[in-house]
Amino acid sequence: MPSIRTITPHQKDHITVRDVLAGPLRLRSLTDDVGMDNKITDKSMHRPQLALAGYTEFFTFYRVQLFGNTEFYYLNSLTHADRVKAFRNICMFNVPCIILANGHLLENELIDLAREHNVAVLATDYDTTKAIQQLSDFLDDQFAPQLNVHGSFVDVYGVGMLFSGASGIGKSEIALDLVERGHRLVADDIVVFTQKRESILMGTGTSLVKHFMEIRGLGVIDVRQMFGVRAIRFQKRLEIIVELEVFDPDREYNRTGLDESLTSLMGVEIPTIKLPIIPGKNITVISEVIALDYLLKTYGYHASKVMAERLHDEITKRRSSRASTDQRHITYFMGDDE
Amino acid sequence: MIESSVDVVNRAGLHTRPAAMLVKIASKFQSEIYLVRDGFSINAKSIIGVMTLAAEQGARLGLTVVGADEQEAANAIKDLFASGFDEP
Repeated sequence: MPSIRTITPHQKDHITVRDVLAGPLRLRSLTDDVGMDNKITDKSMHRPQLALAGYTEFFTFYRVQLFGNTEFYYLNSLTHADRVKAFRNICMFNVPCIILANGHLLENELIDLAREHNVAVLATDYDTTKAIQQLSDFLDDQFAPQLNVHGSFVDVYGVGMLFSGASGIGKSEIALDLVERGHRLVADDIVVFTQKRESILMGTGTSLVKHFMEIRGLGVIDVRQMFGVRAIRFQKRLEIIVELEVFDPDREYNRTGLDESLTSLMGVEIPTIKLPIIPGKNITVISEVIALDYLLKTYGYHASKVMAERLHDEITKRRSSRASTDQRHITYFMGDDE
Repeated sequence: MIESSVDVVNRAGLHTRPAAMLVKIASKFQSEIYLVRDGFSINAKSIIGVMTLAAEQGARLGLTVVGADEQEAANAIKDLFASGFDEP
């Protein structure tokens, strides 16, 4: 069985200016269709202040060029001839596109210059800082490493749980059971995880499969049609991996919950629980409990640690004095016999 | 059936880590293994059970083993207690 640890991530080697235009920046093109198919190969953007000033030694021209207030104030401080020259300095290079922030516009002569050099000029009303944030976020996402994982991904009480395990072990059935109990399916069978910033993996289904799933013996069903929109969601952060496997008496399973095992996916460590499947064991209920325990830990209550401390205190107490050894929770029963 | 006894020798007593070790080793055997303290008997394959004993250093526990591999099981449990769970 291929473990999810062994899958290699992939990532886009380029996007086009058209993709950026369709992104979340509310951009409009000032150069119509010019340069729409220009490739962007780098997830960083560039503020071309030095290049405008004429220093193009290390000009990262292949990046998206963002004009904020500084660039505009600089250009406006120049004479018309120098402004054209400065702008030409940039267009001469193979720049994929220029984004104008803060609602700034360029005079027609400069726009025409961009057209001549096949450079797309896009404008947004977002202020410079906001445009930088949105653009970085968008480019980060577009160029982020992605990982396809075979499993079922469900939002259980708001906790993103990935069920992995061999084919036919019942991942889809567990997901279906969870949906029936009011939880939400993100994706079944193929889950695509995208790394966000350093430590976050966001999971979603594929555009073709969406919320369809296969149930052995039944065929393909559409969870969204069947259970409605409340039963699905489009994306979720991965928080726990549940590895299902047929119970193996020779294997050791976690008994105390003190040792957490982690799976590293694209360098992000995800808490992982190995769950043996035994007849009569309700994996769905256990999954809900795993999610609730995760929430408790997130809010600072770690049941196994609390139990370990209680035990430690009790042993310490007994060592100093031979205290009562009545194990009952209460020391005597009240007289009402109830 | 084997009836014997074990002593807790390590300083920290039968706290969570030794309890987990004990349960892991006990679970490897088919026999039923019980530990008894002051008449209170627990299944040695149950982590909560073993923790309930809260056995401190110097405590003596009764050991009862019943089953096909009772001799091996009893020896393994005794060795584990004698080793102090790899603790001082």
